[in-house]
Amino acid sequence: MVFLSFVKKIKVAALVAAVLLHGPLFAAQMESAHDLISKMAKASRELNYQGLFTYEYRGNLTSVKLTHAVQDGQIYERMQHMDGVQRNALRRTDNVDCLRTGDMLLRGSAYRLNDQSYARLEDFYEFHIKGQGRIANRQVVMIHVLPKDKHRYGYVVAIDKESGLLLQSVLMSHTGKPLERFQFVDIQIGGSMAELGFDSEASDFSDVALDQGNCIDSNSQITTSASRWSTQWMPPGFVMASHKLVDNQGQESMMFTDGLAVFSVFIDIDKARSLPAIEANLGATVAVLTKAEINNQEYAICVVGEIPRATASQIASAISMSSPPPPSSPASSSPSPSPLTSKSPLP
Amino acid sequence: MSDHKERLDQSLSALMDGEATDMELHRLLKEVSEGSELRDKWKRYHMVSSALKGDAAITPIDYSAAISAAIDEEPSHRQSALAGFVGSAGRFAIAASVALVAVLGVQQLNSPLDSVAPVSEFAGIEQVDEENVGPAIQFPSGFQPIINARTVSAGGNNKSSQFVTPVIEVRQQAERNYSEAQLRAYMNDVMARHSNHAALNSNQGMLPFARLNEAEAAAEKE
Repeated sequence: MVFLSFVKKIKVAALVAAVLLHGPLFAAQMESAHDLISKMAKASRELNYQGLFTYEYRGNLTSVKLTHAVQDGQIYERMQHMDGVQRNALRRTDNVDCLRTGDMLLRGSAYRLNDQSYARLEDFYEFHIKGQGRIANRQVVMIHVLPKDKHRYGYVVAIDKESGLLLQSVLMSHTGKPLERFQFVDIQIGGSMAELGFDSEASDFSDVALDQGNCIDSNSQITTSASRWSTQWMPPGFVMASHKLVDNQGQESMMFTDGLAVFSVFIDIDKARSLPAIEANLGATVAVLTKAEINNQEYAICVVGEIPRATASQIASAISMSSPPPPSSPASSSPSPSPLTSKSPLP
Repeated sequence: MSDHKERLDQSLSALMDGEATDMELHRLLKEVSEGSELRDKWKRYHMVSSALKGDAAITPIDYSAAISAAIDEEPSHRQSALAGFVGSAGRFAIAASVALVAVLGVQQLNSPLDSVAPVSEFAGIEQVDEENVGPAIQFPSGFQPIINARTVSAGGNNKSSQFVTPVIEVRQQAERNYSEAQLRAYMNDVMARHSNHAALNSNQGMLPFARLNEAEAAAEKE
């Protein structure tokens, strides 16, 4: 019995030691994991920086040079692929103060879904500080972002301690396997437009269309133009961040985000007949294409995003026309709001 | 004997993965208490695991000898009249507590995101979705059905290029009454538009455009 109580004492001591060691960590994590994420959202827009990052999925690796600068309230970005075919992308965003739905969610502001309910990132993800590390020769804080349901993926992100920039982002499956990874290997923070080489590209930038629109203020909902389409089911926490009415190609699109994950819905009329119901994925991006027939009109509905395949399928099959035109055939006489004959590729 | 050793190694791996049975755990604990070879291996495995997880401090110091010496020093642990029975009971209790610590430790190692070791795991090929079922059909380059795609993306020995061919995997069930080129163009188009959306809204700046590159590259292989 003496031995047993001795062993018991050791166990108690070990437990006490464990609690003492981890206690302060828990406290720190309570106050700052989400703050760091908010800081990150701000830093990656407002700072000047140039760096090399790699994008990796399933054995494929691309390296990219990214340059980002802010001048006179405009954001200038250049992206140069360092391997494969020569490829450059320039982007100019109108207003550094233009906040979009994703920014709002990530900065921790409650975002108004409608008059009654608010969406908050913390309702759908847990944030845990998992210690420190070194990435691109800089000290980082590692944060695990765990989804609270099966409709979105988790992330392991590394945030630069000094600047708050996102230096690594790994998309994690529900079983804890990495699906894709962005990681800076080298980054310089600061530098003027000239130093970053943007001056010589002034004429190139003048040819680039401004990305603008869908800016929101902290109290208002985004003004989404009235869509004929509505969703019977949406993974909780996702809100519409942009909506484009039918273009001259016969395509209408909507974009949804929960602040971290993003998916787009495309509805095509013209191309519908030539496309099969299909599921495809490229890296961590999944595309689920379903066909629907409404009033003898065939539609192709495609959900694309970095979300689980099952979620994408569920969204695709839950899309319907919110105010259907008067029924012109017996097939569409089912009551609103589910006039769709959905041909989902999943049984 | 070597067969026995091999089994122990397997048990040890299983323990590290949190999949060891009670039997295996008992066998391991017994073996560890008798020989130092397995104990060294156990220690090495833990160090490798810590290194992969990026734990800053890896202590190469083995406290176990010191601890058991300290336990032996304890007056109450000195062999006494009761030696035989109580001695073995005490050892069992210690072994049990070690087992408890081991199990707890292993569980901690294996909670989903704690076992993250992207660096090493990316070398392996991950089935993107667990629920992959259904027939796949053969597409020309760029698009690949899931089964073949694994070989293609793993190999990286595409003769026409030193770069691994980006792969769009496709699973479909409808009959083929469409043009593959059309489908490919459509998929690349929606992925490009999606990336553009995501770049504006996901707070990763232009990072989503890196994904877009893959789609474009797949299209350009044509």
